[in-house]
Amino acid sequence: MRLVLRQSLIIAAKDTRVFLKDWFGLGFALLFPLMFVLGFSLALRNIGPGDERLTITVATQEEEGVSHQIIGALAEESIVDLTVMEYGAAVRAVEDGDIGGFVAFPADFTSDLQGGLPTKLEVVAQIGDPETEAAILGFANAVAVASSNTRTAVQAIVQLAGEEALPQDMAAFGRDSDLLRFETEQIGPVEAFNAGDFTVPGYLTMFVFFAAALAAEAITRERANHTMERLMANGTRRESVVVGKYLGSVYRGAMQLAVLWGVGLVAFRIDLGFSPATVIMVSVLMVLTSAAFGVMLAGLVRTTASASSAAVLASLVLAPVGGCWWPLFVTPEWMQTLARITPHGWANSAFNKLMLFGAGGGDVVLEMAALAAFGVGFLVIAFARFRLSPHAS
Amino acid sequence: MVTNSPSTHLAHEDSGFLTARGLSRSFDGALVVDDVSFSIGRQEIFGLLGPNGAGKTTTIRMLSTVLAPDAGDVTIGGHSVLREADEVRKIIGVCPQELALYEELSARDNLVFFGRMAGLGRREAKDAAAENLGFVGLLDRASDAVRKFSGGMKRRVNIAVALMSRPQLLFLDEPTVGVDPQSRNHIFETILRLRDEGMTLLYTTHYMEEADRLCDNIGVMDHGRLIALDTPVGLKSAIGDPDEVTLEQVFLNLTGRSLRD
Ligand SMILES: Nc1ncnc2c1ncn2[C@@H]1O[C@H](COP(=O)(O)OP(=O)(O)OP(=O)(O)O)[C@@H](O)[C@H]1O
Ligand SMILES: [Mg+2]
Repeated sequence: MRLVLRQSLIIAAKDTRVFLKDWFGLGFALLFPLMFVLGFSLALRNIGPGDERLTITVATQEEEGVSHQIIGALAEESIVDLTVMEYGAAVRAVEDGDIGGFVAFPADFTSDLQGGLPTKLEVVAQIGDPETEAAILGFANAVAVASSNTRTAVQAIVQLAGEEALPQDMAAFGRDSDLLRFETEQIGPVEAFNAGDFTVPGYLTMFVFFAAALAAEAITRERANHTMERLMANGTRRESVVVGKYLGSVYRGAMQLAVLWGVGLVAFRIDLGFSPATVIMVSVLMVLTSAAFGVMLAGLVRTTASASSAAVLASLVLAPVGGCWWPLFVTPEWMQTLARITPHGWANSAFNKLMLFGAGGGDVVLEMAALAAFGVGFLVIAFARFRLSPHAS
Repeated sequence: MVTNSPSTHLAHEDSGFLTARGLSRSFDGALVVDDVSFSIGRQEIFGLLGPNGAGKTTTIRMLSTVLAPDAGDVTIGGHSVLREADEVRKIIGVCPQELALYEELSARDNLVFFGRMAGLGRREAKDAAAENLGFVGLLDRASDAVRKFSGGMKRRVNIAVALMSRPQLLFLDEPTVGVDPQSRNHIFETILRLRDEGMTLLYTTHYMEEADRLCDNIGVMDHGRLIALDTPVGLKSAIGDPDEVTLEQVFLNLTGRSLRD
């Protein structure tokens, strides 16, 4: 055990040394993805909603109350063009197709809040207009965030000064932590305002996997040039080589993460969402799983040529299927289902939830478990099939 | 360099340091090594000769624990390659027929890596690398990537790597192929020096005069079988005056003139 650990660490260190001397490999793993991110961020910026300000319609069924305050506050924010309509007119406008949809505050919004009761926002949208739906849900999200900010402030005041310090109608607002929810079946498609929030994790996923899969080629080359057999005669265990190659790949993936997230944050001003730690964890899981894939692939193929074609093919097919090139949530249902057979699909689903839809760590447990399951599966096959000799014997 | 470890002088003197008995191996139904038995004494240079495809490399792979024989067994220093491969691996060094090196790494990094994998500490491996590179005359090129070396220089690095584990028995599979006379002579001197320092060597080559000059004993393989086993003089005497006959004549006599695969 200690022997295997020692040997695998030496192998991983050697591979890292080789990697740092390999300019093409470095460029491929680190610069390529950045070029893609840059290109696609620029391209998506022009077609995305970032440039044309969205028109959002809101309606409230209240005569007066908190909903009016919220609408007033949001109208001052410049992300959206806010149109306020009367509820019945808004419904007719949707039916007539004049507007794609709207967000409505119910008549008892304020009284429910004051009574400590849960309340909800209503989203009325035309079926089959994902862009409007996305925009409206994004707006609803913003309302929820604004409300919970207010709630946090209210709770803080209550703690410091007691409820008496608040105007009477605000007191209940701070009492319960689950007051405002909005009702919608799909927590949903919200278009990214910053294209980088989608492209950075997408291409990171693609290239982490790509680089790790290509490691299979390097492994088969080492097997073909007899260095592995030489190691074997030298007292190196097969498991040490499997683990060492795996670790080496993980190190390279970690370098990719550091560079891609770093540049993403600094140059593309991406937003990691409410739980940056979970975003990083998901990306680390993607690295671990991809590294396992590369070692597994080396165990399954015979020649260097088949290793590299399998690696390229797998990477180029799995990336779009797994939602690295376009967001999965804009694709038809069957494509979203198909994405689940790829590690990429799970990683991207987690990234999108975390970075675009404001989800927290607890919301992506399934995605993380699926990624880990892929990784464990790949490793089991890798251990079973890995050979040191150039020829099957 | 390679020092005479005390265990070198322990038992098994009589039975040979390496003893192979009835080694056989086939690939895809073709018998490639067929019932090969021989033994090598301590501090002996044993030459394994034979035409292309005779089974020399396959034999070495079995002797060096990386290929399992279908039948037969080998003991090295008293340890069976089948049952005590780990023990055997501690006392052997292999210089494979291929250049089993990391081209992107420097000569020194190659040696240090293999030395560390064989159990040397960091410092120890560095020292041994410098020593062995000096031994093969490449100390001044230690920091250059192997990729930039000529064929003969790579061959010498290939040998130096095999010395990193301080083996008692060294397998050299065609170490002089594609090497100029200067380098080749350097390699011969290296081999003789290693032997003088206590190492046992098994050596394959297609250069007959080389085998004649270096080897204490020679085994000739053909079609997987060991067809002759004697000293160079003994082999030559079988077909004439050993001072007149060349080993090449013996070889052609034994293995015929038809081309091999
Ligand atoms: N892994 C393998 N799979 C199938 N056949 C093999 C394998 N290894 C060796 N052989 C066959 O075994 C025979 C002996 O090969 P080997 O490499 O041992 O010969 P050799 O004596 O070393 O030849 P050379 O002088 O050309 O190096 C050859 O016919 C070769 O094709
Ligand atoms: Mg050979």
